[in-house]
Amino acid sequence: MVTPCPTSLVSPAARAGKRDNDQNLRAPVKKSRRPRLRREQPLQPLNPCPLLGDSGVCDLFESPSSGSDGADSPAASAALRCSPLPAPAQQLVQLDLQTFRDYGQSCYVFRKARESHFHPRESLARQPQVTAESRCKLLSWLIPVHRQFDLSFESLCLTVNTLDRFLTTTPVAADCFQLLGVTSLLIACKQVEVHPPRVKQLLALCCGAFSRQQLCNLECIVLHKLHFSLGAPTISFFLEHFTHARVEAGQAEVSEALEAQALARGVAELSLADYAFTRYTPSLLAICCLALADRMLQLPRQVDLRLGGHPEAALQDCLGKLRLLVAINETSLTHMLPFQIREKCSLSPKLK
Amino acid sequence: MKKFKRRLSLTLRGSQTIDESLSELAEQMTIEENSSKDNEPIVKNGRPPTSHSMHSFLHQYTGSFKKPPLRRPHSVIGGSLGSFMAMPRNGSRLDIVHENLKMGSDGESDQASGTSSDEVQSPTGVCLRNRIHRRISMEDLNKRLSLPADIRIPDGYLEKLQINSPPFDQPMSRRSRRASLSEIGFGKMETYIKLEKLGEGTYATVYKGRSKLTENLVALKEIRLEHEEGAPCTAIREVSLLKDLKHANIVTLHDIVHTDKSLTLVFEYLDKDLKQYMDDCGNIMSMHNVKLFLYQILRGLAYCHRRKVLHRDLKPQNLLINEKGELKLADFGLARAKSVPTKTYSNEVVTLWYRPPDVLLGSSEYSTQIDMWGVGCIFFEMASGRPLFPGSTVEDELHLIFRLLGTPSQETWPGVSSNDEFKNYNFPKYKPQPLINHAPRLDSEGIELITKFLQYESKKRVSAEEAMKHVYFRSLGPRIHTLPESVSIFSLKEIQLQKDPGFRNSSYPETGHGKNRRQSMLF
Repeated sequence: MVTPCPTSLVSPAARAGKRDNDQNLRAPVKKSRRPRLRREQPLQPLNPCPLLGDSGVCDLFESPSSGSDGADSPAASAALRCSPLPAPAQQLVQLDLQTFRDYGQSCYVFRKARESHFHPRESLARQPQVTAESRCKLLSWLIPVHRQFDLSFESLCLTVNTLDRFLTTTPVAADCFQLLGVTSLLIACKQVEVHPPRVKQLLALCCGAFSRQQLCNLECIVLHKLHFSLGAPTISFFLEHFTHARVEAGQAEVSEALEAQALARGVAELSLADYAFTRYTPSLLAICCLALADRMLQLPRQVDLRLGGHPEAALQDCLGKLRLLVAINETSLTHMLPFQIREKCSLSPKLK
Repeated sequence: MKKFKRRLSLTLRGSQTIDESLSELAEQMTIEENSSKDNEPIVKNGRPPTSHSMHSFLHQYTGSFKKPPLRRPHSVIGGSLGSFMAMPRNGSRLDIVHENLKMGSDGESDQASGTSSDEVQSPTGVCLRNRIHRRISMEDLNKRLSLPADIRIPDGYLEKLQINSPPFDQPMSRRSRRASLSEIGFGKMETYIKLEKLGEGTYATVYKGRSKLTENLVALKEIRLEHEEGAPCTAIREVSLLKDLKHANIVTLHDIVHTDKSLTLVFEYLDKDLKQYMDDCGNIMSMHNVKLFLYQILRGLAYCHRRKVLHRDLKPQNLLINEKGELKLADFGLARAKSVPTKTYSNEVVTLWYRPPDVLLGSSEYSTQIDMWGVGCIFFEMASGRPLFPGSTVEDELHLIFRLLGTPSQETWPGVSSNDEFKNYNFPKYKPQPLINHAPRLDSEGIELITKFLQYESKKRVSAEEAMKHVYFRSLGPRIHTLPESVSIFSLKEIQLQKDPGFRNSSYPETGHGKNRRQSMLF
């Protein structure tokens, strides 16, 4: 099933103009609020922002907005403006092959087995108000938010899993869908982050539309509805596993494998925002993202698609969809990637 | 519509403080025509309907006050396959009125941006509607949306949710099973009787209790949920991890009672922790029992590590022991944090005694070897009757470690000489001392094993899995390695606890240490 989503292809011609207007007209008016919000966010190492934001929340997002590109929709413009910093967001982490040798395989087997238990199926099927479009918008916003807080990809994956699984249990009104988004983010961060974002910061991100009590209430309900089963296997985990596995097996250089992993993570981030990809399990998405990344980087030895033991048909189906997704979102992907990877990969694997 | 938008923008500007600079993306509340789930509770933020003229969907910051950088336009994150494929064959989408809008965020630009959002709306832009929708009235919504807003969750709300709502995976069977479980008494506080308080902290209180269902003793860890930041991280981590961990050497979580204000974790009750056990036998344990306890620690830990769960706070107070001698790991609250804090939320100091030198020097590496240093320290403490490195500050702790094991150099610990913290401390250059002098009761095999735990470089430390195969444990026989996970090692008849030489069979130590019991459970 392919979901209709509002964020359709943007024709470059159609984009021109609009941003000119609202950018330039509004630009000089606002005073800097940045120092105030800075104070409220003491724990958070802010990404170096090339452009000084004029508003408090603005340093959440790199603003790539320019006079020449126009937003075609609010969702689009949000994503445009929310696009992450390209440089330090995804560092190439070192591999821990020793731990992988000790426990990698048993850990993988365990998580793979639990994957289907945590896999939300058709999370929107019974939702009267939340649609694939609104889910896409919410995630297009949560992705840069998670990046701004310097949260791990694991947190993002857990956020999306928590969100989707909660949606399968409970009808959610459109006007508190955003609250559910930040609540899911908070719950995910409390599990894996050293410094989860403060409730206050999350509320400020929602422009004060919700109260602390509402967030805490919803947190309580989410935990309850999910019976505290929160530790879902994630794409992040499987990406790391497959990367370790190919290095350990001598099928890739460490540097190649890490680059492929970083690029695959970018592709996986895109897929998180698209409801059509919720039907695939994290391990399937991880191996397909890696395979696509290998192709984009034109690595000499490509990852073995069968590494995760998925059926061939599913692999090809998923890979094809990912290829299409990357083609559609070429530019936003470019800006999600670390510089050195952006340089290397050919971002236009044309549809075949 | 335009007029309506304008009104909304004014409303919002008036009512919100933070976001004069923020554009609001408002979306008309829509609902599918055929959806008729009025009886189901919908989560809603519950703002009074009069506060805003429209339910806003996403309040998005537009980032509009920046200089236009010279950058290629971005497309939407998550631009979707669906819309991509739908577009070419659905020309009518182009005509759909866009009800979403961006609003001017300040007085001066309001007019202009309002205009722009109408004029420059891209014709190929986003279509929020792909089916016929109807608008629903406030009355409809109020019927549908049931979560109260700023008031507290009403008493019993969660209990009602639990019974009324089908869980996500297997709607009917799970639901009915759940209902029947709650009839028996699981998930209800009435099922448990509190007997005595074992300890109290800022976040939790631990009681000894009894289950009316089974008549068994239980430990009730009551965690208050009403905090500034919502449910405590430690509670979320502990519950979500322990739900997945079922092993003979890990404390069993029997039940969770989630009420509106607190979360009570119902654990199996074990009489003592290792700290009390050692106290009770005058710190002279039978060396055979040391071996059995160490093996059980490793067995529980290997199980966790196979699941990529780190304990990160191993210490004798977190190792619970029953009268059979079964040892179980407890207190997984810190288990997924990447760095171990020195203080708990309640500002109690977390002991440094079992913390590895790499962590003390600021490493935030997330690997299973982190736990293995602590195992070495505990092993030593059981064998010698005193803590190995009882430091009171980070510096003190490092100093004690280096005095015994030798101050590390680039040769003994590659990379240490470039560690700024290490350089700043400027420790004297101690030579390593033989461990046997400090733990004379340990045999040579034991000394060899403990040396493998106490390696400076974390990757050189032996893993729990490997350590279990060490020759030190050979005297326990081969069968111990093939036991199923949920089976205790004491189910083998060759495995038996011995009488500890220093054991005093009186309640004397109980009073002396009762106050400190289960301190570790309080975060």
